[in-house]
Amino acid sequence: MKRFLAVALVLVLAVTCFAADYYPKYNGKPVTITMWAWTSNENYSIEEFEKVYPNIKVKWENFDVHYEKAQTALSAGSGLPDVLMVEYSFAPQFMELGAFQPINKWLDEKTFIKLYGEAALGWCAADGQIYGTPQDSGALTMFYRKDLFDKYGLTVPKTMDEFIAQAKKFKQVAPANLKFYAAPIGNVQWWIAQVWKAGGKLFDYHDGKWYIHFTNPVATKVFETLGKCFDEGIFDLEMWWNADWFNSLNQGTTAVVENGAWFAEWLKLNAPESEGKWRVAIPAQWDPAKPTNAMLGGSGFYVTSHSKNPEAAALFVNWLNSHPTSLKCLHKYSNLPVMVSTRYEEVLDEVSGSDAFFGGQNIVESLWEAHHLVNTTFVTLPITSNMEESLSLLIQQYVDGKIKRFADILPLWEKEVIKTMKEFGYTNLVTGKLP
Amino acid sequence: MAKDPNGNQMNIKMDELLKKEKRKNKKAIATLKAYLFLAPFLILFATMVIYPIVLGFKLSLYGQRGARMWYIGFQNFATILQDSRFWEAFRIPLFLLLIQVPLMIFIATLIAFCYERLEKHGGSFFRFIFYLPYTIPGIVTGIIWSYIFSDSMSPFRPALDLMGYVGTKILTRQHLPAILLVIILWAYTGYTAFVIYSSLISIPKEYSEQAQLDGATFWQVAFKIKVPLLKGVFIPLFIFNAIGAIQVFNEPWMLKELVVLPSNYTPAMYIYNSAFAQGRFTYASAMGMILAFLTFLISFGVLRGAAKQMLTDEM
Repeated sequence: MKRFLAVALVLVLAVTCFAADYYPKYNGKPVTITMWAWTSNENYSIEEFEKVYPNIKVKWENFDVHYEKAQTALSAGSGLPDVLMVEYSFAPQFMELGAFQPINKWLDEKTFIKLYGEAALGWCAADGQIYGTPQDSGALTMFYRKDLFDKYGLTVPKTMDEFIAQAKKFKQVAPANLKFYAAPIGNVQWWIAQVWKAGGKLFDYHDGKWYIHFTNPVATKVFETLGKCFDEGIFDLEMWWNADWFNSLNQGTTAVVENGAWFAEWLKLNAPESEGKWRVAIPAQWDPAKPTNAMLGGSGFYVTSHSKNPEAAALFVNWLNSHPTSLKCLHKYSNLPVMVSTRYEEVLDEVSGSDAFFGGQNIVESLWEAHHLVNTTFVTLPITSNMEESLSLLIQQYVDGKIKRFADILPLWEKEVIKTMKEFGYTNLVTGKLP
Repeated sequence: MAKDPNGNQMNIKMDELLKKEKRKNKKAIATLKAYLFLAPFLILFATMVIYPIVLGFKLSLYGQRGARMWYIGFQNFATILQDSRFWEAFRIPLFLLLIQVPLMIFIATLIAFCYERLEKHGGSFFRFIFYLPYTIPGIVTGIIWSYIFSDSMSPFRPALDLMGYVGTKILTRQHLPAILLVIILWAYTGYTAFVIYSSLISIPKEYSEQAQLDGATFWQVAFKIKVPLLKGVFIPLFIFNAIGAIQVFNEPWMLKELVVLPSNYTPAMYIYNSAFAQGRFTYASAMGMILAFLTFLISFGVLRGAAKQMLTDEM
């Protein structure tokens, strides 16, 4: 008994020491830091944070997606908040422009990996410098309409082959105005995620060099397979994030949408008429023996180079995105899949449960599983907005019939991207291979 | 003193001088007053137009990466001259300038004559109705029209479906110039007609009465006598609309939610995207300078041409 007590005591001590290590004390003067974030209800976490760190006050401002505003402030040389929310795929672009400052002093690499996992370094750090912490997961998730699946006798596909077979079946029996699967025209992150889901990538950053190789075997396989389905009219293409698309989600004219885990929250808010009809599942796998998944979106909170209180800002972003109290608040009030932090496990039981919008399904469980399948990562090229434009134009040309085979887009896109990187003055380019 | 002729003259001279001085003072005060009245405009013009242009010009002489800027002289301008994406962007303004502007002024002239014709039969009501679209901000106009041409909400959809065009998209890149034409005509024709109408009613009645006595019809009077007299209003209208065409932004900006458009669909869109999406502020400033210069050239050219024409007319 004594021995057991001793062990327990040591464990408790270890845990408290550990916890103290994660979140160092703030020794500076009382300060107020500002944060730009477009998520909803971050204030609950902020209130809890201010209780723990009474000398740091956080002023949260919401300008919706604020890249243009941030870009302007960055060029003006002043005006960025202390903490800036940025999607993982846009972070390298801001890092390259010198928008962030390193916070290793208050959050070292070892602690970061313990709290967020090694993959997250690819989204929040560059060349060993940590700039921020990851908040939500963009783990690719399959959202499907159970009503349509039941009506047309489909089963939830587990592999890509099954997925395509279900699409063919649907196209045969369903009326012509219904779509099984509509991929976005544009939306560069979605297409990168498709390659990533197959275990591949299009580019990466390693040892000070940018690697670009779109026409690698995995990416080619993905574009050939999906491309054949577009060419044969089994899958459709449409513009996302506009009024037509919102209506199609509300009215249920598309059976399957693949999107980031955060899309569950988006559906609830923006497609209220479809309540009870959606379900979530793990995306169909290319190789069921080696399941893997991708991230689509998801955002980190970064400490900017304009911040005069990087210490306070660093302590805040770390507490915000990993402390169980904060994770619970973010889950409950912001409805975010804040699963990137390893400490999410501590609150998992508390936050999961049946979800009425998804017909009573315990979606947290599925999203958590989808998130855990993300087992590779890479750094996005710092020209996301240009990649977006060149891809949208190419897919539109395909839709207009100017490009005959969908798979031909991949090499054309690669050419455009390499051209832009050169135009923007990147001399550290390696093409035709990946690290 | 009065007896001294010289002194008298001196006095008169002094008087004149004093009067002159007074007049001068009065003139100075009047000038001052004029500037005082102009001050609100001049201050705003200097701070909101001149200063940004000067600042924009200064910016255009720099290279930029993030917050770092360095002087590069006219290198940005040299790059723009070879940037085919910038010059391709002028296709839409050119289309508007050659098709939309003349077409709109023509339709507006017809409508203005209708206003005149209907003077006693509810002309003011039609003037009001036709003017209304002009009062709606361009962005709102863009949103509403994008819905009107969208796939899921278009009121034309049922009719198109009935005619056998099921699933045919209305809003495509190919149709976009025509759609822009419709939107811009809808928004600005009523206003233009109103401007033409107001100068139409200032034409002396005697002209048309004489022609009518000679047996000319209403439309003959309109086109043979009144239209040539409207030149004074057509020229500024053409300039304003030409400037609008070169800077077109709101309508395509809203429509790009529903149809894929390149970032350089119009020059103004290319400038905006270069600055705010790609963070190339100095390059965008240089393009802005060139756009402003071209606008200036067109206005200047038209005005000079008009002045020459008027001089020869008078001779």
